[in-house]
Amino acid sequence: MTIAAIRRNAPLWISIGAGVALWEIAGRMSSAAFMVPFSETLVRLWQLITRGEFIAQFFDSAELFLTGFVLALMVGAPLGMLLARVRALRVGIEPYLMTLYATPMVALIPFILSLMGFGFAPKVLVVFLFSVFPVLYNTVEGARSIKPEMIEVAKSFRSSEWSLWREVMLPYTLPYLMTGVRQAIGRALVGMIAAEFFLSSTGLGQLIMGASQDFDTGGVFASIFVIGLIGVGLTRLGLKIEQHFARWRQ
Amino acid sequence: MSQAAIATPAPAVRKVPVLMRGALVPRLITGLSILLVWEIVVRAFAPAYVAKPSTVLLAIPTVITDPAFLQALGATVAAVAEGLAITIVAGTAIGLLMGRSTTVDRMIRVYINGFNAMPMIIVLPLFSLWFGYSGAARIGTIIFAAIFAITMNVADGARSVPREYLEVARSFRSGRWRMLIDIVLPSSMPYLLAGFRLAAGRALIGAVVAEFFLSIGGLGYYILYNSRAYHHNEAFVGVLLLAAFGVSFELLVNWCTRRFMPWYRRDEKTS
Repeated sequence: MTIAAIRRNAPLWISIGAGVALWEIAGRMSSAAFMVPFSETLVRLWQLITRGEFIAQFFDSAELFLTGFVLALMVGAPLGMLLARVRALRVGIEPYLMTLYATPMVALIPFILSLMGFGFAPKVLVVFLFSVFPVLYNTVEGARSIKPEMIEVAKSFRSSEWSLWREVMLPYTLPYLMTGVRQAIGRALVGMIAAEFFLSSTGLGQLIMGASQDFDTGGVFASIFVIGLIGVGLTRLGLKIEQHFARWRQ
Repeated sequence: MSQAAIATPAPAVRKVPVLMRGALVPRLITGLSILLVWEIVVRAFAPAYVAKPSTVLLAIPTVITDPAFLQALGATVAAVAEGLAITIVAGTAIGLLMGRSTTVDRMIRVYINGFNAMPMIIVLPLFSLWFGYSGAARIGTIIFAAIFAITMNVADGARSVPREYLEVARSFRSGRWRMLIDIVLPSSMPYLLAGFRLAAGRALIGAVVAEFFLSIGGLGYYILYNSRAYHHNEAFVGVLLLAAFGVSFELLVNWCTRRFMPWYRRDEKTS
């Protein structure tokens, strides 16, 4: 690492160090039921990992997240493009899409619970519902911003419907779709935890719930810490994906 | 002579019925067909208690006159309003500091980003330990869910204040504090509004999730309770109301931006 890089990253590391120190001190000063110092959180986390509990729960959650998210992408992206191309359909559906995008989907969880019970499918549905609308909404938004002239030029060069899609629609909407993907990653994560809290308790959600019910504050902190790190990692990934595809947006 | 040509009337303006010109008709048709499909599917395949448009419609008058519902509505609205008020004040203050001071920004950026990336509802078990199963835990969740969106947006806004504004203010010997209030804050208003839109949506989710989790009175708990009692129609009225809140926040922000900040152009709308 060069000196310049060290100097550039120094404030970040100092800030992280100060935060950890603050956590440690606050944890030591307050009662163990209230807050647990950083060191104990790590110890507790290590216990959870070595007991194998954590790994199993992690893969449970990952399976749920991926299934719901991929489904949302598979439905949201093509449907969004279709809406973009067929104007009559888009004009008709747009306000409802906006409504659903702005509706807090958590409110549907009790209905899903009483209709579909406690299996895997209802939880996938929750993750799907949380993440499909950002994808759909942004894809439509992107397609709406395609200049009509571009399609007219393509048409006047007698391009076929297929090549119109491949050469104009797809490249143009892709950056917007990726904005949707970034938003959807965050929402899918919330959906995953919500599903694990309120439907059948599994995965990382169950890890927290269990710890909280046992008044195991260390376990709660350890789970929140890990889920927070996963959230940061996924958000970064989403930003990277978005930036990668945003290059030809301008 | 070409008299006839002159007499020829100008090509008639294509007459489009008023209703067809706008988007109203396709929208109405889509809306009605969605409702129709929903009604038919539920009638054909689902048990009788499942919400369908006709029964939800019938349930609306009884629900909105039900004191229990009004109380639940009031509790949630009050909590969201209180949480958002705290969020706006605190979030804006922190955001302004972050945007205008590199030291503060370097100190707390990693935490703001980190907390913002967390799925907000994981703090619920912790808050229930800290605050008990009470309204305080709900307010805490609302604030935690909403504040980082505002802070990040205001910080972005404060950072993007045109340099000339600040230079002019400085050459008129304006103090730091005055500059923050009179120049930086108004200039980052559009960002604040964009942050508010995000924050309001998250605050609603936070309130509903907190009520599910903590079983405290409110719209979320009303939905949970009624759907458990197989009163799906009544519960669905609650969902409709939540959707209405979500949409009206969205519309309110759009309207405010257009009405009070005509100088600010939303990025994609310029073409």
